[in-house]
Amino acid sequence: MTNILEVTGLNKSYGDFSLSNVTFSLPEDCITGFIGVNGAGKTTTLRSILRLTTNTSGTIKLFGLDIEKHESESKNRIGVVMDDGGFYDELTMSEMKNVIAPAYSSWSEQDYKSYMDRFSLNPKQKINTLSKGMRMKYALALALSHKAELLIMDEPTSGLDPLIRSQLLTILTDYMKEGGKGVFFSTHITSDLEKVADMLIMIDHGKIVFQEEKDTLLESYRVVKGDTKDLNEENRKLFQNIKTTNFGFTGVTNQIKEVQECLPGIVIERPTIEDIMLSNIEGVRNNVASSYKKGLCNR
Amino acid sequence: MLLHLIKKDFVIAKKYVWLMLIVVLLIPPFILWRMPELTGSISFVISAVFAVFMLLMYVSMKEFQYPKASAMLCATPYPRSLVVMSKYGFCVVIFAACGVIYWIETLLLPKLGSFNFGMVMAAFVGISLLISIYLPIQFKVGYEKTKFFFIVVIMASPFLLPQLLKINGNPYLAVIHSISVALLCVMVALISLILLAASILISIRIYSKKDLI
Repeated sequence: MTNILEVTGLNKSYGDFSLSNVTFSLPEDCITGFIGVNGAGKTTTLRSILRLTTNTSGTIKLFGLDIEKHESESKNRIGVVMDDGGFYDELTMSEMKNVIAPAYSSWSEQDYKSYMDRFSLNPKQKINTLSKGMRMKYALALALSHKAELLIMDEPTSGLDPLIRSQLLTILTDYMKEGGKGVFFSTHITSDLEKVADMLIMIDHGKIVFQEEKDTLLESYRVVKGDTKDLNEENRKLFQNIKTTNFGFTGVTNQIKEVQECLPGIVIERPTIEDIMLSNIEGVRNNVASSYKKGLCNR
Repeated sequence: MLLHLIKKDFVIAKKYVWLMLIVVLLIPPFILWRMPELTGSISFVISAVFAVFMLLMYVSMKEFQYPKASAMLCATPYPRSLVVMSKYGFCVVIFAACGVIYWIETLLLPKLGSFNFGMVMAAFVGISLLISIYLPIQFKVGYEKTKFFFIVVIMASPFLLPQLLKINGNPYLAVIHSISVALLCVMVALISLILLAASILISIRIYSKKDLI
């Protein structure tokens, strides 16, 4: 499978935050979800790919071309949806389109009109009168009207109601049916990814935690529930994180066979992407470890 | 692409453009009525400086208000260098429009004096100098910190420009009068272009290193 996007050794520092050696790739014909909590580095990574941030090191290749050397050419093949749209709100949608459209060599007025009709958007309406859902649809209409081969979206589903989110996911699925395309979108609403994503990349504290096919990832993790009394210092190490209450414990593990051997009386469930994401967050893992140590000391 | 970006600035400031058009139309007759000693090139320079800086500041304010829109533009194939150049182009187009308006006014109101190329070039070098200083600073430190610069320029121009007239009597400038008008215009045009080119290069360098929100 050809890679549409390859990011290698990306570094960027912002005061007390830094992207550290971020490396991943996006295969063609895949919807890739970029997950992580707020402040994990998702937006900074996307901005670096779009060359909106400077003083970065590392290489970014889009369609096999180094974006630094072929910036306009590469951007001509990308559709971008910013988290807030990135519009001059006092313009009408038609005026904003007239600003954006001339930048693209393959802009299709026909496609644009077709998307505007499909989304029931009136081109004469001012952008500042649009609801959040309509803004997102308008951003998509702009991003999809120039035969983009890669769609990059920053938190597109954030703040949207379930109906609009569902419509967005349908649009993405339709877009992918054309073939030879890719979608890369960052989100912390992982339930959307359960429905459409093929690949998942997780970032935390500016570092890539994993890049994995969604199904493989969901298969390799399990949520385990059991009696807290069965836990000891040794078998706790088999879990990514554990939450304990008076009624028992719930933990996430990627070593299910070993857990089953150590804890025979447990209940095993399939995890959600959110379970896996939370179990891989450094802060959560550290807190679990430290709370356990405190617990041991109290005993 | 450049023309579309220049057009974008006019679209952003569209309501203000009409207001400025009226102001530019009214300034020369107003000066003729209230301060007849300043009619001629001075009234043209005042109206041009006023229009260029008022519109430029309005567009800058909108860019400041919607920073993600600038990021969005740079996420498209528009090169950052073109985004920078469009700001200079925007100023030049406003100046040209002011020139045309003033020329028409001199035809309708002969008391305003004659409209000549030398006067336009003198005004152009002045405007070029101002925007060549102002725009790189604005790209560097942003709209908020530079808006006072514009207030100073607007407030000072009615007082400074008459002082410039007195320089005409300076013997050191006699050499200028000995040069033919055509040659002087070419020299002034060259100076303006050099100033603008240097300023554009500095602004591009500054803007290309800027992190866009």
